[in-house]
Amino acid sequence: MGFYDSGFPILSVITYLPLAGALLMLFINKENTGAIKTFATIVAAVDFVLSVPLWFYFDRKAAGLAMFQFRETASWIPSLGVKYSFGIDGIALLLILLTTMMGLIAVYSSYTAIDHRQKEYYILLLLLQTGMIGVFCALDFFLFYVFWEVMLVPMYFLIGIWGGQRRLYAAIKFFLYTLAGSVVMLLSILALYFFNSSGIPFLNIKGLGNAPSFDVLQFHQIGHLISPQLQFWIFLGFFLGFAIKVPMFPFHTWLPDAHVEAPTAGSVILAAVLLKMGTYGFVRFALPILPDGTRQLMIPIVTLSIIGIIYGALVSLVQKDMKKLVAYSSVSHLGFVMLGMFALNPMGLRGSVLQMINHGISTGALFLLVGIVYEQRHTRLISEYGGLAKQMPMYATLFLIAALSSMGLPALNGFIGEFTILLGVANANIWWAVFAAVGIVLGAAYLLWLYQRVFWGPLDNPANKVLKDVNKRELLTLLPLVACMIWIGIAPAPFFEMIEQPVDYIVQKVDPGYFKRQPVTYPSEAAERAAAVSSALAAIQAEVHR
Amino acid sequence: MPSTSDFLMLSATLFTVGLIGVILRRNMITVLMCIELMLNAVNINLVTFSHMLGSLEGQIFTIFVITVAAGEAAVGLAIIIQLYRLKSSINVDDARNLNG
Amino acid sequence: MTWADTLLLLPELIAATGASILLIVPVLGGRARGHMAKWAMLALMAVTALAVIGSTYAVAGVQQTPTFRAMFAVDAFSVFFKLLFVVVIALVTLLSEDFLSEERYSTWEYYSLLAFALCGMMFMASGVSLITIYIGLELLALSSYILAGYYKNHEESTEAAMKYFILGTVSSAILLYGISLIYGVCGSMRLSTIAAALSTMLSNDALMFGIMLLAAGLCFKIAAVPFHVWTPDVYVGAPTPISAFLSTGSKAAAFAVFARVFYVAFPAFHLDWSNVLAAIAALSMIVGNLAAITQTNVKRMLAYSSISHAGYSLLGIIAMNEMGLRGILIYTMVYVFANLGIWATILMLRRHAYAGESVEDFRGLHKRAPFAAFSMVVFLLSLGGIPPTAGFIGKYFLFAAAVQAGFGWLAIVAVVMSAVSMFYYLRLVVAMYLEEGSGAETIYSPSLRFVTALSLTVTLVVGFIPELPIRQVIESSSHLVGRVVQR
Repeated sequence: MGFYDSGFPILSVITYLPLAGALLMLFINKENTGAIKTFATIVAAVDFVLSVPLWFYFDRKAAGLAMFQFRETASWIPSLGVKYSFGIDGIALLLILLTTMMGLIAVYSSYTAIDHRQKEYYILLLLLQTGMIGVFCALDFFLFYVFWEVMLVPMYFLIGIWGGQRRLYAAIKFFLYTLAGSVVMLLSILALYFFNSSGIPFLNIKGLGNAPSFDVLQFHQIGHLISPQLQFWIFLGFFLGFAIKVPMFPFHTWLPDAHVEAPTAGSVILAAVLLKMGTYGFVRFALPILPDGTRQLMIPIVTLSIIGIIYGALVSLVQKDMKKLVAYSSVSHLGFVMLGMFALNPMGLRGSVLQMINHGISTGALFLLVGIVYEQRHTRLISEYGGLAKQMPMYATLFLIAALSSMGLPALNGFIGEFTILLGVANANIWWAVFAAVGIVLGAAYLLWLYQRVFWGPLDNPANKVLKDVNKRELLTLLPLVACMIWIGIAPAPFFEMIEQPVDYIVQKVDPGYFKRQPVTYPSEAAERAAAVSSALAAIQAEVHR
Repeated sequence: MPSTSDFLMLSATLFTVGLIGVILRRNMITVLMCIELMLNAVNINLVTFSHMLGSLEGQIFTIFVITVAAGEAAVGLAIIIQLYRLKSSINVDDARNLNG
Repeated sequence: MTWADTLLLLPELIAATGASILLIVPVLGGRARGHMAKWAMLALMAVTALAVIGSTYAVAGVQQTPTFRAMFAVDAFSVFFKLLFVVVIALVTLLSEDFLSEERYSTWEYYSLLAFALCGMMFMASGVSLITIYIGLELLALSSYILAGYYKNHEESTEAAMKYFILGTVSSAILLYGISLIYGVCGSMRLSTIAAALSTMLSNDALMFGIMLLAAGLCFKIAAVPFHVWTPDVYVGAPTPISAFLSTGSKAAAFAVFARVFYVAFPAFHLDWSNVLAAIAALSMIVGNLAAITQTNVKRMLAYSSISHAGYSLLGIIAMNEMGLRGILIYTMVYVFANLGIWATILMLRRHAYAGESVEDFRGLHKRAPFAAFSMVVFLLSLGGIPPTAGFIGKYFLFAAAVQAGFGWLAIVAVVMSAVSMFYYLRLVVAMYLEEGSGAETIYSPSLRFVTALSLTVTLVVGFIPELPIRQVIESSSHLVGRVVQR
């Protein structure tokens, strides 16, 4: 494996392997579904296997610009200053690992769920994976934008062809919402581009006179030179593009539709990876490049995040459809991620980044689980179920772990993320933390209530008496996720270590004086966990009493 | 001796009359004549300017415009005949198959 | 006019001579051999293309007479567009094959008119005097009027020809009136002389009126709002290959003129006219896209889409900077190929005159013609400006030009409207891939297949490796931009 540190373009290989696989699949006869599935799984598996060593070869201590590793640079469109530039920091690394893992799980979990036009399905799934990994790797804005948009097309087809009843509506809504956001983002990118090079004479904006470039890292260096007023507008453009993707509160309406209508694997990918692109966009681009813009819009964004947390949780409470419930819970959880991020301190950001991963794992698992019963019963209405714990004990156990992880029970991953976010947020403003805590309680409420209605009580619906418990294949898709939940829950240190430098870098960019005012003192992991456990137990007790 | 601006006024008037005619008249032949009127208004303009500026370009252009106008008339009349063959009418309003 | 000048005119001369020969052939007894017309036409296109390329080498060596120089330029800009035109006409020839054999219309005259149109377009691209430009424009227009009415026995086609004719001639009269005023104020028809005269002049009403009338005439040709009313009717009524031609070649030629006239002659009054054009561009994008959403006839939808694309392209003229001119060139090219590909698919479905034009006819196309359906998706994405298709590169240039020129609001309108446009482009995608059904029968002839494949190749290659075309475009436009920068 010497080539991981020898300048071998490993990121490109990981990015384009699924694409190559998709192209090769064109030559497989579409009747031969067995071969198609096997081949797609092999491609996704190889991709995952290739991405794992990144974790070991990544230098966690590298600070500043050196933390972007596995760099690849080549010229692409020199006349526009567009470079083919890849490179990842700790945040991107975790998200890539999440993507390749989820990609494999998505392919493997679709074996029986998808019964028509299978060849196209797996081709699109692999294409989607190339787009997603590309987004996380790209360090050139133009390249980033290309991947960002490329992703839309396969997802559109995945929802539109293999989705539920209202799939057309959901697919088009998803496509147009995201597209509308991203084209506005394109204008912001252009403004940055011109600021760096020739300027916009008409608006009396003097350029820096640098060679035309879309280099994200260069923008990181020059961003703070932009006048606060212009930063505000550029940030607003980015905000629209990313907030729709996240999705933040008023822009979230596409999400429930897309989630409910998408096939299971589509929902899994959507929740686990696609939503993270919005939050990733904020931490990679909007925050470090536009510190003044960030601070100007901090309060509105925090407000929207808190509204999102509470609103998402309340709407989840009243949902009758399991998938819709999980979808709205995503709105709430991503509110947390945004809130932690805009606390603008290392603690909040660390939690925020970790929570991105956690949400991907937990919510991905929940969607998979909902998909398992849906495949057998073809309904997702909560009222159709009840007492499943007796019929499907294994399934009930897995569901419980996923739900507990999602609501943030100690010793599972969600807790670490939410707790760290709360710490960071409380540092910034205690009242924000109070609102966030309300969200956590509500989160526990809707998930536990869901669990109670579906798994406990009498098994009185005859249709449920023939439900089969998870089979070996389904178990194989779920176990890695459960393992990750427990791993992050018990030993989050390697993850924090991975994102420490990037987070410090971002805080340094957004708030250059931060580390002078507050010397870095992270509570040791042990103390952190102890404090966390006790307070969370108290919260759980309170809920049980309620 | 009329002045340059008199000629320009004449041209502008003719052009406007032609334009209004195209908009208001429904008979294709009349419409065609109105278009010719507009083109000839332009010709007056061009010749006036040519005289005023002492450059020949305008007059050369006028000859081109007259030639093109002849071509336009030919094509226009051909279309009118075609329309009459199909509809037995050369009223613009009778052509209503395309709703736009 | 010397022999040397004639050498530079060779492409136009070949096109005109070829067109005349094609016209005579049926009289000489060639009517029976209609199927040969296509090959004769393609051969003519090949020779013309060679002559165009040859003329670029000749231009360095020959001594041009001053009068000739003042009327006609063989420069990189004109060569770019001429080659594009030749390719468009060749592809339209291929598109026309089935239509002509099915409807039993005389083929030789049809191709002859196309060749005359090409001749006119080439004069438009090369014209550096308003006289040359006008003559080229009229040659193109007169040929188009007849071609639009080529379905002699269909009322729709004749009506389309009539509407196109009336509005077209009125618009050229308006354009002419504008030219006459500009001539009166500046004392010349030559673009560079006009520019020189304007640079020493203060804004005056007669001149602005002239420029506006000229712009109005050109806006008619590119089908920008509010001069667009003819477009949907003509696209629907005209024979489909001619609609394809009008929406691509004819429009590209008008843009060549628009770009050259405004970039060379009127940079001095940019501030005065740019806001008016900006309003026209914004209206075109908004009206075109919103109207397209409600259409069920694909031809009509494409007509409105082409109106909106006129709006996008206008950004390049309004911006009046390097980026903008490059944007016009590259966008025109990108748009032409995506559109021709789409028309090829429509023609594939289009049997028996006007059948097969509604969105329903596309249902389940992915099963009946997977390649056509896939290509169609790529073309639609390209029109919508989604990377990695060529359309994104084109739109990138135009949007960037608008931002750089400080027309932020216009850029916002443009990006929002290009997102809206995906709404109706996706309708076709939905019909092809997401809805099942029999739809119209398909007959995919080798010619149509070739047009689709070529357009697809261009659309993808420009999307993935844009460096080469961008360089070409920079080379083809830099000598015009030079003047703007000097300003």
